[in-house]
Amino acid sequence: MSNPTPPVGPGLPETQTLVPDTVTEPAKQRAGKQAKAARSASLWTDAWYDLRRRPMFIISMIIILILLIMSFWPSLFTSVDPYNARTCDLSTARQGPSPGHLFGRDNLGCDVYARTIYGARNSIVIGVFTTLITTLVGGLLGIVAGFRSGVVDTVSSRLTEIFFAIPPILGALLIAATFRGRANSIMLVIIALAVLGWPMTFRIMRAAVITAKNQDFVIAARALGAGAGRIMFRHLLPNSLAPVIVVATINLGTFIAAEAALSFLGVGVQSPDISWGLMIADARNRFLEASLPLVFPAVFLSITVLAFIMMGDAVRDALDPKLR
Amino acid sequence: MNKTSTDLSPAEVTPGDEPLLAVDDLHVEFHTRAGTVRAVNGVSYTVGAGETLAVLGESGSGKSVTAQAIMGILDMPPAVIPHGEIRFKGTDLLKLSEEARTQVRGQRIAMIFQDALSALNPVFTVGWQISEMFRVHRGMSKSEAMKKAVELMDRVRIPAAKQRVHDYPHQFSGGMRQRIMIAMSIALDPEVLIADEPTTALDVTVQAQIMELLAELQRESQMGLILITHDLGVVADVADKIAVMYAGRIVENAPVYDIYKTPAHPYTKGLLDSIPRVDLKGQDLYAIKGLPPNLLDLPKGCSFHPRCPYRQDNCESTAPQLYEISGIRGSACHYWREVLDGERQQ
Repeated sequence: MSNPTPPVGPGLPETQTLVPDTVTEPAKQRAGKQAKAARSASLWTDAWYDLRRRPMFIISMIIILILLIMSFWPSLFTSVDPYNARTCDLSTARQGPSPGHLFGRDNLGCDVYARTIYGARNSIVIGVFTTLITTLVGGLLGIVAGFRSGVVDTVSSRLTEIFFAIPPILGALLIAATFRGRANSIMLVIIALAVLGWPMTFRIMRAAVITAKNQDFVIAARALGAGAGRIMFRHLLPNSLAPVIVVATINLGTFIAAEAALSFLGVGVQSPDISWGLMIADARNRFLEASLPLVFPAVFLSITVLAFIMMGDAVRDALDPKLR
Repeated sequence: MNKTSTDLSPAEVTPGDEPLLAVDDLHVEFHTRAGTVRAVNGVSYTVGAGETLAVLGESGSGKSVTAQAIMGILDMPPAVIPHGEIRFKGTDLLKLSEEARTQVRGQRIAMIFQDALSALNPVFTVGWQISEMFRVHRGMSKSEAMKKAVELMDRVRIPAAKQRVHDYPHQFSGGMRQRIMIAMSIALDPEVLIADEPTTALDVTVQAQIMELLAELQRESQMGLILITHDLGVVADVADKIAVMYAGRIVENAPVYDIYKTPAHPYTKGLLDSIPRVDLKGQDLYAIKGLPPNLLDLPKGCSFHPRCPYRQDNCESTAPQLYEISGIRGSACHYWREVLDGERQQ
């Protein structure tokens, strides 16, 4: 025996647990400390830890934060109130950038910068509310359909397929044009987009629930006396939420782009409300004479959509490390 | 499809002598596209308070399906229970409404699973999951329930329970996870605990500890324990009696000592002969010939006859009933006497 092997055994954690009373006090404390250090290790805290280190997430988060501030307190960014017609001056229409009006003036002589800043609010409001509605409706129906299966599942799944068959912009155009004038134009855009958007969330939630449903912990929860509601909202929902959140974040950007498209086509946000899509539509005819009134809202729109999609990507990577 | 009372012995009819849990002539079928899978074909067993029944059998023998039928967690469809009773303190669970069964689950009859990691919800801390039992079923406040959870974790010997109560399932070792699963299942003081291969996913040293823990908890609370396993070594120390299952039937039941000493069914004998033994070192290990039967198309007569060394002509045509050997022993073999005497044919 030239090379004595190190003794094995005492280090095994399981052996220690057999005799917990003999575990010394410092050892107990050490175990406690370790537990505390590694403690917040749920999927969400792990994901958050991961996200904070991603440049893509940080950049998109900063952009989104600025956009949020912009939509809540636009007056922080500009002293001009574009909703006040007196700030416009037709005689200065399509003027280039000047000291007080950095982005120049549009067809009606209004300040492009102020309008672009104020336009953020409608984009964000429409994006956020549409996402909330689609996530709530699609998510709830998705859980129930995935959990109950059978008739409930078949009926709601076929229903979503009907919605998938409608080309989204055409469908939204139809809804918005049909009910035009009967409701606030911003609300109408939200409804039109939500009606066409929820099936996507539904499908993702349903698929995630069906996967989670067959996992042992759901069966175990049933075996330990959990009822249907408890299983759906305590066991299935938290375990199926990740993909839904990712899609919701990406969709938020898409909805903002869709709003711009609808406004551009004339059935979305209506003047005097301000929207980037509307601004682009207004500036389009005189683009060759004055390009800035089109370029600035378009750039803001792109950056906003990009920021949400980037954040969605980052969240997905953090929640599903396998995809990296 | 009720059993007429003439099928029951008089002792079973009087509720006073009714065992804690009695499975009676249970049949479970799965209707699949490939045909009807007969997973359980007339299983009967009983467990009394403070008694440990080991249900032994290979994969697909129907031991887990029987347990899931008791718990009422079979997916129906595709599963169908065309016949049989599961009586808990005299009440047939199969006749209860879904709400009434939910009341039984967890509170009166609880179950622990093979793979504790996948049986615990990954998004909640173990403390949350254990205390949930108290919050939902006992209406305790959050802090009260958490305190009880720590007590329970102490009871199943998880070191530093107070700190670890905030950890997530994946932060525990396999043995510790199974302890947490056990803590959850005994939280509401069930009268019957079903352990479905509780040690299969663990290594050997941990297996013994978990079995010891189960046995000890059972002694303290006098619950009836059904231990489902395919491991003969695991059951020897803790079980009072053993039911050996093959192809959805009980082929032999007996007190644990009798089975190991004098098996009365060729399948049990084959199982015991397949255990590696030190004194037979160097020799080929005995194995039961052939393959487990196809549950879609069970062999005629005795399901075991294609693999049986004691086979006679009538085995292929007549399915043996569970012959009574003594008051507490039974064997579903026409030739159990020969098996007992150890005279192998061929």
